[in-house]
Amino acid sequence: MNTREAKEILLLYRGTIDDADPQFHAALKCAKSDPELGQWLREQTNCYDAIRAKLRGIEPPIGLSEKIVRRRPIPFPRDWSRVAQLAAAILISVSVTALLMKKWSERRNRPVAGTQEILVTGEVLDMTCYIAYNLSGPDHAECARVCIRNGLPVGIKAKDGKVYLLTGEPGHSVNAELADYAAKIITIKGKETVRDGFSQLQVEEIRKI
Amino acid sequence: MSADLEFENLVKLYYGDLYRFGLSLTGNEADAADLTQETFYIWANKGHQLQKAASVKAWLFTTLHREFLKTCRRRNRFSNESIDEGAEGLPNVPADCAERVDSRTLLRILGEIAEDFRAPLVLYYMEDLSYKEIADVLALPLGTVQSRIARAKIQLLRRLSETNLPLERAK
Repeated sequence: MNTREAKEILLLYRGTIDDADPQFHAALKCAKSDPELGQWLREQTNCYDAIRAKLRGIEPPIGLSEKIVRRRPIPFPRDWSRVAQLAAAILISVSVTALLMKKWSERRNRPVAGTQEILVTGEVLDMTCYIAYNLSGPDHAECARVCIRNGLPVGIKAKDGKVYLLTGEPGHSVNAELADYAAKIITIKGKETVRDGFSQLQVEEIRKI
Repeated sequence: MSADLEFENLVKLYYGDLYRFGLSLTGNEADAADLTQETFYIWANKGHQLQKAASVKAWLFTTLHREFLKTCRRRNRFSNESIDEGAEGLPNVPADCAERVDSRTLLRILGEIAEDFRAPLVLYYMEDLSYKEIADVLALPLGTVQSRIARAKIQLLRRLSETNLPLERAK
């Protein structure tokens, strides 16, 4: 490395701050062994120090730091770990809700079980009065007839005590046909189905006894 | 330490350096103060995104420089001029030439250097940043930064030696 090359490199040398920078090592070695280069380097670094001192001697306006602190915006705390926790909680909550909704929907739409054709003999009931007030039998016949005719649920209580809700084909009511049999014993032929543990009989045929 | 106290300490630590950097870029005290305030305002809003606490200083200088460039674009006075190739030679500068100028004159001479070259030169002189850090602050390759510093320094030294320098009174 000749003197000119060393000078070009050492032009950027600032002193101790650049001592660890390997790009200066060879040139600094040259400056140690070459007195003229060494002198030039000393002048350079002195000049650097002088310019640095002049620039760093510039004082900021009085009150600037206080103005900056006063003007500081109110920070919105963004603790990302808390945000992540909240997001996870929302995600779990939504997932659980979706799962429950799905289960509920499945349960609601679950097909009726155990479809089979059977004959049931028993008393025709006005289900509202029977379930709510335990009213049935001949004493309640007129009330039951009116209720059934007016569209309230109608059922049949078999001899073994099991009660079936009587229904027609989907969209077709059997109330009008059964109203006159209120509190009377008849035989119904129909398809038995069970939903959620509750039995119903889709009426196919009504037989008087 | 509370966030307020932390912010105040940060301001105390760096506002002077940032102001001086801003002043050397703009050559205007009011603009430098605005840039300094704006830098800390941005810090208050976005500083929490910084992962390494050690790079706060570089982050602040990067932000101030970026804001300065934005201002330049708004005012349409951004300069891309390069330094004359004729300035390449190493000048013979009297050792005491820098001693004989006052800060204001020095700033004026710095202001005559193209902005692309002035910013790296000011960081080179004023801040204890490595060349890599200066390159990061200015978003430039390391080689470009060193080349610009060298050329700008030669120009500065030439102007210092050519200027009819006023003797500093306060000695």
